[in-house]
Amino acid sequence: MEVTEVKIAEPKIKMKRSIIDVDIHNYTPLDEIKRYLPRAYRDQIDLWGWRLPGSLYLNGGVKVGQMTDSTPPGGGFPGSDLQFMREQLLDRYQIDYGVLTGSDYSCQASPDLDYAAAVSSAINEYTLEHWLAKESRLKGSVFIPKQDPLQSAKEIHRVGSHPDMVQVIVSSGAEKPYGHRYYHPIYEACVEHNLPFTIHVLMEGVGINGPNTGAGYVSYYPEYRASRPMVMAAHLASFIYEGVFEKFPTLKVVLQEAGVFWIAPYLWKMDEDWKALRFQTPWVKKKPSEYFRSNVRVSSQPLEPTPNPETFNQMMNSVYANETLMFCSDYPHWDFDSPLRAFPKLEDSLWEKIFYQNAADLYSLPARGAGKEGAR
Amino acid sequence: MKYNAAEVGEIEIGTCKIVNIDGRSIGIYYDGENYHAIRNVCPHEQAELCKGHFSGTTLTSKPHEYIYGMEGEILVCPWHGWEFNVKTGESLVDPDRYRVKVYDVSVEEDRIVVHI
Ligand code: FES
Repeated sequence: MEVTEVKIAEPKIKMKRSIIDVDIHNYTPLDEIKRYLPRAYRDQIDLWGWRLPGSLYLNGGVKVGQMTDSTPPGGGFPGSDLQFMREQLLDRYQIDYGVLTGSDYSCQASPDLDYAAAVSSAINEYTLEHWLAKESRLKGSVFIPKQDPLQSAKEIHRVGSHPDMVQVIVSSGAEKPYGHRYYHPIYEACVEHNLPFTIHVLMEGVGINGPNTGAGYVSYYPEYRASRPMVMAAHLASFIYEGVFEKFPTLKVVLQEAGVFWIAPYLWKMDEDWKALRFQTPWVKKKPSEYFRSNVRVSSQPLEPTPNPETFNQMMNSVYANETLMFCSDYPHWDFDSPLRAFPKLEDSLWEKIFYQNAADLYSLPARGAGKEGAR
Repeated sequence: MKYNAAEVGEIEIGTCKIVNIDGRSIGIYYDGENYHAIRNVCPHEQAELCKGHFSGTTLTSKPHEYIYGMEGEILVCPWHGWEFNVKTGESLVDPDRYRVKVYDVSVEEDRIVVHI
């Protein structure tokens, strides 16, 4: 009998070049966040709890929506341990820059505007101190109380010019579609600080936000996932028809995690309707797809596999992936897209745009290899 | 060819030992009666499948009915949660297209032997 050496096998990871990952969920635990809240709120929480609305649906994966193998070896929640994140994600997949998107958006569904503002600020302080100050490859997202646009603008002015903050982030669940003029103070502040406005799926149908479909509440998580593009689609059309990109021509909007290829027929439809109905919104001077190309970016995960490569290439062209698409993994969530496996083989120049350049341009990040970055 | 992968008693019920046999990473799973050897690579995005979770699952049923079964026979991928039958390597959703290689296992002189 032949006896072989028994050892744990690690899969070989061969990246062709380093990349940027625009959606990494660092864990932002409430007990840590609490320390950054004013005393009055800390007392309330001790007495009455957090009074933040929670999810309505089961998630995927085994450990509350996370990849099972992302639990840090020393224990703790996935995405909570910077060193393990370096090993499992940043170093392993040669990620030059990663944009942190936090883990808890519940304050963006709270009816208490001042509390939402305080929790947002606390998340931002926590992220600056515990993540961005320790690892220069990581960049941060400014959480805002989007249900109060004036306080949101204040928070953007407060932390938005920090060199490690690269975008403003909100949940896709909202009280009104995001193009509405109600929100414009937020965009004024985004433009002033040169920060993209990123809409990340979450909190649809939760708390003060509108239901997760126009047809009402769905029953199951897969059904809820299927409804995400509908909510995101409403935001996209709202930006275009409310004339946001005419009013704020340099504003960039990122659509995150609602899928990618649904956008293609949606643009065709909007372009066609614009031809006949242009007179109703005469400030929409260009075809909707042109605003999409100039002002909107899309992150890739969860990218839809197509039935065959021809369809994939057609869909990529139809969403102008070359200009608009940016790779992201969504680590450590269960529906993580591997940088090596999520996409079929891409032509080199397209790969470069999606895995690096489009994100570098959007977030003003250095070219590949410019200056060694890492632990601070 | 036969490979000695573990000692009897070394792998607890419901758990799995990952070994490297001839360059292949393979998980040996013990269901309390039999040992099963399955390739440690998920056919979806190549996660280390055997670092996933062993369980049963909800069997195909009528709308709004839950029937739990296949206790201890299901290996759930650590990444996207695809379910595989640990005995056959077949995925539950598309057994013909997504199938993980499984290997015969025997117990010889208190050793768990994988046949490749
Ligand atoms: S890698 Fe296993 S389910 Fe995706």
